[in-house]
This record gives sequence, structure tokens and C-alpha cells, in this order.
Amino acid sequence: MTESVITISELTRRFGARTALDSVSLSLPRGAVYGLVGTNGAGKTTLIRHILGLLRAESGLVRVFGLDPVADPVGVLSRIGYLSEENDLPGWMRVEELIRYSAAFYPAWDDGYAEELRRMFALDPAAKIKSLSKGQKARAGLLIALAYRPELLVLDEPSSGLDPIVRRDILGAVIRTIADEGRTVLFSSHLLEEVEQVADHVTMISHGRIVLSAPLNEIKESHRAGGRVPSLDEIFVAHVGAAAASDG
Amino acid sequence: MRSPAAAIAWEFRHRHRWGLMAVVGYFLILAAIRIVFLAPGQRVDLDVQSFALLVVVPITSTFVYFLAVFSYGLDGDLAARQSMYPARMFTRPATAGALAGWPMLYGAVAMALLWMGTRLLGIWPSDSKYEVPMVWPALLAASLLAWTQALTWMPYPLRGLRVTITVLWLAAIDAIVMIALELKASEPVMLAILAPHVPLAYFTARFAVGRARRGDVPDWRGVFAPFGSITNVLPRQRARFRSPAAALAWLEWRRYGRSLPAMVAIVIPFELALLFLFRSTPVIIFETLMCVLLTPPFMAAFVAATVSESNSHGRDSYGLTPFLATRPVTSASLIAAKLKAAMWSTLAAWALVLVATPIALMLSGTSSVVSDWVRQLIEIAGRPRAITMLLLLLAMFVASTWKQLVQSLYIGLTGREWAVKASVFVALFFIAIMLPLGHWTVTNRRVLAVVLTSFPWIAALLVCVKLSASAWIVARLYDTRLLSDRALILGAVCWTSAVLVLYGLLAWLLPALLFRRYSLALVAILTIPLARLSAAPLALVWNRHR
Repeated sequence: MTESVITISELTRRFGARTALDSVSLSLPRGAVYGLVGTNGAGKTTLIRHILGLLRAESGLVRVFGLDPVADPVGVLSRIGYLSEENDLPGWMRVEELIRYSAAFYPAWDDGYAEELRRMFALDPAAKIKSLSKGQKARAGLLIALAYRPELLVLDEPSSGLDPIVRRDILGAVIRTIADEGRTVLFSSHLLEEVEQVADHVTMISHGRIVLSAPLNEIKESHRAGGRVPSLDEIFVAHVGAAAASDG
Repeated sequence: MRSPAAAIAWEFRHRHRWGLMAVVGYFLILAAIRIVFLAPGQRVDLDVQSFALLVVVPITSTFVYFLAVFSYGLDGDLAARQSMYPARMFTRPATAGALAGWPMLYGAVAMALLWMGTRLLGIWPSDSKYEVPMVWPALLAASLLAWTQALTWMPYPLRGLRVTITVLWLAAIDAIVMIALELKASEPVMLAILAPHVPLAYFTARFAVGRARRGDVPDWRGVFAPFGSITNVLPRQRARFRSPAAALAWLEWRRYGRSLPAMVAIVIPFELALLFLFRSTPVIIFETLMCVLLTPPFMAAFVAATVSESNSHGRDSYGLTPFLATRPVTSASLIAAKLKAAMWSTLAAWALVLVATPIALMLSGTSSVVSDWVRQLIEIAGRPRAITMLLLLLAMFVASTWKQLVQSLYIGLTGREWAVKASVFVALFFIAIMLPLGHWTVTNRRVLAVVLTSFPWIAALLVCVKLSASAWIVARLYDTRLLSDRALILGAVCWTSAVLVLYGLLAWLLPALLFRRYSLALVAILTIPLARLSAAPLALVWNRHR
């Protein structure tokens, strides 16, 4: 049996009266691309923040590489590459300072690979982060998430608001990451076409609950109707629409 | 809500309802005291401190609060070039005149009511010996608010220019009013001086909002670009950081480490200039040197807010950004970097003071006055004691600068807005209580004698509180494994050593007849930071893993 990179069991999280995650259980084996899809506010980012240890499990259990990300942030975070949807890189840093600063935390940082990515993303090393466009900032974030070849790459809505060229770079990064054996990608998005292009396994989340989680091929086959394979969009609307209706 | 006026009013009322309710509640209490408890014309003898505490502090705080609320000053970056008028309002179907005019009108009415309320309810009968004007202070408050609004909503060509222009302009208006008062201007004259301000400010604000709405932000940065490119010529560090700790310390230094030395570098030349102006007045030379020595710790109190702030431009300015929170380092390492950068910042600020002061003393010809004081001190205390006293004094100033920078980390690093704001409120409340109380104690011999007699008990109680809090914090640090056993033991040894060294020095320097040894021990324990500093990692963990 393949070792699980992420194991989540009965995870529940409330923010005041609102339940953001409701008894979520999930197990992601190593070496595949997992697409986490859901509407805005469905709980994707909350789930990812638990995986990174930025939120403490109120009830339930979260293990990443078999470790508790809250109790052992160094053990977990040193093996994860993370691209946040918030674009929160320090604006005053120059690109080369960002690279130098990030390199200090990862013994496996590959200077050659970082430089290759910098050139590929056309990032000026002397440019300040605050002077970069939104797409360039996303590329800079992607560079520092990839340059140490993390075992687990976590991308939280990486494409939202970005142009098709940057989105292509991000998808390229996902493909490049899984080209190395044993590495895993968790990719949250509401752009289902993108997820459909790269994900092996899709988890749909709605109102804090997992409504569907299975390999993409299985999902498509199980929804085949009259010889026609529906798109992930259609499957998503069918499941999330049903979940929303039952909530209502 | 059928009009922009009603919508804007609703936003102010709804968003600031708790603050406005507090102001209304305060005036209701004043009204109740006046109507229910006091007979008409009854005198109440309030001394200056009590009047300051009961009326001046709340009214001044409300004035500043209204300035911030009605200029939308709580929403944006004061130093930015862009207008501080909320950009979300620009898409509303309202003219620039309406967007500027309604907040100005509501602000002017609020300021006028604030003064009227103060005049009717806060100025007690006993103070009727002063001739308190009825109208012009209300107009002055409204004018100051109107100009604050106009100048904060204006886009500027350079970062920071807004603060400079606004402060200078408001100070100019204040100066005109002060001169008029000095010349004993009558109320009609004061009204004539102040009356044009609100309409002039309105036209300025309308222009500012219109310009900001078009995205028209003048830009003079190009003029200064050649100066900026000088830094590109300077050698830049290209090598990798030796360790994650070195990278974290570099980040903290770059974020706020230079602020304190820069602020000190700006202020002390003005202070030291007094040595040249009053070279023959020893009292002023002494006061100037004391001001210079107090400048770094005083400035550090202002810089401290940025030390614990982790996310000045984020949506959640008190929270830790994912960029920082996801660095693979322990929370203790993040704190250690902050403490280290604070130390560098302190040393840099004091290096400036220690270089600039002797130069100023020599150039101004006042060094002989200081030499005389040192000679007198040596004659009284003996050379070893005198040197130790001066070094201890310097060390205390340096240590208090560092302490000012880091002692509020345990609040700022919680990342909770309510905790930060509550701490500011508690601090202001504490100052408002302690200043009059301290003044009353010092001026009342009997009370002072009681306080001095019971000083050991008060100090012992504070020591018990400090050590109990520290024991609880250390137990939590141990349970959560935030600090290793070695770090905890090393910390305890360092703290105990510092207390013993300070106690030893105090016992050696101060005469045993005047200061009991146990009192000195209590003072040493209270002086060396422990509880608040050791709570910082717990605060950060509460923030980092919510």
C-alpha cells in the first residue's frame, strides 16, 4: 500500500457560528496530483491552512508526512512548497533578495534550478516585489516554492485573477513537479478546466463537507450517461448543486 | 437609504457605533451628574489633575477619534501618495462635491456638538471664573477637521508628503489662533478669522476627491531617482545566509531595524543644537543631555508597534502572513530574530548618540561643564563608584531602549486586533490614572510617607505577581516544547545572573542607611525583564497556529 502524504481524519473547524469544515476525512497517497475543487468559501483554503499548520485542528486529526504540522512545523514545512493565493511576498524585497532569503531555510535548495526558473519566468533580479505585476508576483512565489524540489507542492488558488500565460506556467510547474517520482501536488482551484488537465484525483468540497473524492477517471466513468462523458464542470454542478440544495 | 447622504451617514454610524455610543454615554454621565446631583449654580471644586482626568483626556481623545473617523484615517496608509479617501466610494453615482461634502458636514456637526456638550456639561460651575467662549472653539474644531479631511484626501507626488503638509498646515492654523488669543481677540474677531476655513477646506477637498477619482496622482519620484540609483552602485551582499536564523534576523532588521537609528538621527541634532545656543547655562546643558539620553528609549516606544507587527500591508495587519508563517523554523527562532534585530537597532541608535554627543560638547565648548560634574561626582563617590555609576546609568538607558522595543511583543504577536487595541486602551487608561495619582502622591507629604514606608510591601507584591506569571509561562513553554530544556535553563541562569549583578551593583553604589538591601533585591527583580518577554513565543504560536 502507498504511504499517505496527508492524512486527515474527522477534521472539524468552526469560525464563530459558521462551520468551515465539517468532519472532513481525506487520505492522499504519495506521487499524484490532487485537485481540490469547490466554490468560494467552500472550505478549500481552511483545509490547506490546516495542512500547513496555520490552523490548529479543533477536533479531528491532521498528519502530514506522518507528523503533526502544529507540533512540528519545521519537520513538515521544510518538505512543503506552498504558493498562497494572497500574494503576500514582502514588497520591499528585491527578487534576488527573496531568492537568497528563501534559500536559507532549505538545505536542498538548488541554486541552478532557481536561476533556471528565474530566467524562464523573466524575473529581473534587481526588481522590487512591489513593482512586479500580479502575474510576476505569482511567478516569484512559484519560484521559491519549487526551487528546493519539495516532496509536497501545495497551490492554493494559484491561478485566480491571472492571465493565461501565467496560468500556463503554473500548470507547467505542476507537471514538472510530478515528473520527479514520489512527489505530490495538492492543487486547489475553482477553474475546473485546469484541474481536469492535470489532476489524477479530484476532491470536491462544499459547505465544509467533502461531497466527492475519487480518481478523475473513475469520476468521469461513473457519471457517463448515454455514452457521453460529462465534463468536470457538469459533474461539479451536479454534486455541489445537490449539496447546496440539501443544505438549503 | 435613498440618497448618498443617508448612505454615508449610515456607514459612519454603523461602523463606529461602539465608539459613538461611548462618547454619548460619557456625555450622558456628565449630564446626569449635572442635572441629578448638582443644584443649579452649585460649585464643584475640581483641582487641575481631576479636571484633566475627567474632562480634558476624554474630550481630547474624542477629538482625535473624530479626526480619524471622519477623514477615513483608520482605513489607509497615511504615508502613501494615493488619496486616503476610500476608493470603493469612487464608483458610487455621486458627484465629487457630494462625496467630499457629506463626510465634511457630518464631521463638522460632530465636532460642533462635541464642543457644545463640553461647554454645557463638562465645564463645571467652579470653573466659571474662566471666561469660556461659546462658538469659536466649535468652529476651530470643525476647521481643523475640515482641513484634515481635505489634506488627507489629496493625492501627493511623494510618499510621506501628506503627513508633513497636514501637520504644518494644522500647526499654522493653531499658531494663528494662539496669536489671536494672545492679543485678546474678541469672539467676533475669532469667528471672522475661522469662518473662511470650512468653505475653503471644502473646495480643496472637492478638488482632492475629484482628482483621486480620476486616478490622477502626481509623481515626483523620478526627480529623486538618481539618488536612489546610488544604492545600485554600492556592493550588495550576494552570498547565501549562513543559517535560517541569519536570514530571519536580516528580514527583521530590514523591516524595522533601521527605523530607530533613523529617528534618533533626525531628532538629536536639534536637541544638541541647544548646547550651542545655551552654552553658558549649566541647567539647560544638563536638561539637554538628559533629553538626548532619553531620546532612544522614547523613540523606541513608537517603533515598538512595528516590531511586533507582522503584516503591515496585508488584509489582516495583525496576523502573521503565510509567507512568514510557512518558513520551516520554530516560533522560538522567529522571536529570537526579532530580539536580535532589536538589539542591533538599539546599538546602532546608541552608537549615534555616543558619537554625536561628545562631538557636540566639544564643538559647543560645553565639555568643560560636563567635566566639572564628573569631577564633582568622583570627589563625592570616589573614582571606582563614579565610573560604575555612569556606566550603569548608560547601560540602563541602553537596556531600557531594547526593552521598549521588545516588551510589547507578547501583545502584538498574538495577531488579535482586539488584544492590540485593548492594550492601547488599557495603557492610556493607566497613564490617565497614574499621572494624577503620582502627582497627588508626590505633593501630599502624608501620602508620600505612607507610600515610602510600604514600598517594600508594594514591591514584594509586584515581585510575587511577576514571578507567578513567569512560572506559569515557563510551565507552558515547557509543556508545549516551544523552548528546549537547554534554552529554558540557559534563560533562567542568564536572568538570575543579571538580577544578581544588578543587585550587587546597587548594593555597592547606594548607601545601606537609605536603601534596605531587600528593597534593592526587589528592585533588581522587577527591573530585569522576564514575564512579558518569555510570553512572546506563546503569543506567536497562538497567532501562527490559530
